[in-house]
Amino acid sequence: MEIEGYSFPDDLYYDKEHGWCRVEGNLVVTGTNDFAQKMAGEIVYVQLPLVGKAVTQGKPCAALESGKWVGRVYAGVSGKVVEVNEELEDNPKLINQGPYDQGWIFKIEPSDLEGELKNLMQGDDLVRFIKSEIIRVGAEK
Amino acid sequence: MYLLDLGKIPGQQSMLIFHALARMGVEALVVVSPKNPLVSIGYFQDAEREIDLSFCRGNGIPFMRREVGGGATYLDENQIFYQLIWKRSNPRFPVQMNQIFGELSIPACETYRTFGIEASFREENDIVTRKGKKIAGEGGGDIGECMVFVGGILLDFDFGTMSKILRVPDEKFRDKVYKSMEENLTTMKRELGDIPPREEVVQTLIREFKKMTGNLRPRELDDRLLERMKTLEKWFTSDRFLFKKTRKIPKGIKIKGGVEIRYGIHKAKGGLIRTVEELEEEKINEIGISGDFQFYPKNDLVTMEVELRKTEFEEKKVHHKIQRFYDEHHIQAPGVMPDDFTTAIVQSQSEGPE
Repeated sequence: MEIEGYSFPDDLYYDKEHGWCRVEGNLVVTGTNDFAQKMAGEIVYVQLPLVGKAVTQGKPCAALESGKWVGRVYAGVSGKVVEVNEELEDNPKLINQGPYDQGWIFKIEPSDLEGELKNLMQGDDLVRFIKSEIIRVGAEK
Repeated sequence: MYLLDLGKIPGQQSMLIFHALARMGVEALVVVSPKNPLVSIGYFQDAEREIDLSFCRGNGIPFMRREVGGGATYLDENQIFYQLIWKRSNPRFPVQMNQIFGELSIPACETYRTFGIEASFREENDIVTRKGKKIAGEGGGDIGECMVFVGGILLDFDFGTMSKILRVPDEKFRDKVYKSMEENLTTMKRELGDIPPREEVVQTLIREFKKMTGNLRPRELDDRLLERMKTLEKWFTSDRFLFKKTRKIPKGIKIKGGVEIRYGIHKAKGGLIRTVEELEEEKINEIGISGDFQFYPKNDLVTMEVELRKTEFEEKKVHHKIQRFYDEHHIQAPGVMPDDFTTAIVQSQSEGPE
């Protein structure tokens, strides 16, 4: 779906740190949503988490830089990082070009998927949250 | 929100303070200068690739990684740093990148204006004078629950030392960096002929920030803060943090938004080609070519450098210019073809200095 010009695929789950999660088999693919990448501008560097690292839902586990600003990337669900998108190390702009496909950041083997998906947003909850964020940052189109 | 008007404090403390406040979730404006010089590198920079460590060590200049963005820089007592720390949830402050830099640069711009220097914010994140010279660099980042915005008023700047702290491929390159900084950066001393009284600048800066932050409660470097800074210092000065390896490969030295110096090295069949080019808005502003190859007529190498000025920094366009030069000037350079110069200029810059 589109929320005020920002794209949010319906099959994904979203958190309040502007991350997204896609369930693929027994793994969760994560990344940064369209609104956040547009707010950040051109991303010039991504620091990926180490494969094998244990991450906790809502806690920072990676970082990126755009326009001299260092921003954090938060884990959408708890678990273990099993794969990272190494292409981002050479071409961080992939996040700007396709935040939901070639710009994915890392994959997690979740420890409590069922329980934690309840903390993430879809549908009306997401629309309400994004609209409030758009007003908060003054990003109305 | 607190005000920490700290004057001059030991160099590393002047940086640790904002990291500590942000981790503690304390909203504050810090105005501070380092008592002794130090080098600060951006969060994602690789110290060994960016800094001339032997120069720094030989001259007793410590270096520190900061958790905000931007490049390597030299800090000393002639810079007055402003560090604003606020909680992400605080509606008083912007959260969108371009708003953060644009709005939070206003106090520094107004401070310069108060002293007669017309200064304004310019993308990407510099404060520049009316003539387009950079007079402050800024950076920021998310630390803990807080957002941090930092920048510095340049009373004066030691261009010589700044050019020496950077790791560069050769002295020719260092000289180019120095000259480019001299041309593209400025300070209050340069603009006004003299350094205005520090305290007047500090008080003006604080007054301008208060227009944005509202009233600020004065706070000292109390025991709680010092304790937190001491704890952080152990991590910030550890080799693990200082020499953290990143894959961010330096492509050159950024002088200001839109102007950078790049280096090129390419081994052609006929010898090694080295280039130093100053790029302005993606065009070659100036270029120096050297190496151990043969080039006849010899003087035409300088002419080719001049010909390359204002050429767009794009492989095809650079190659076209060089090929045409070879043809028109009947260049003989055994084992060095236009392709080789093009590679040195356009591609080798991403390899970084050897």
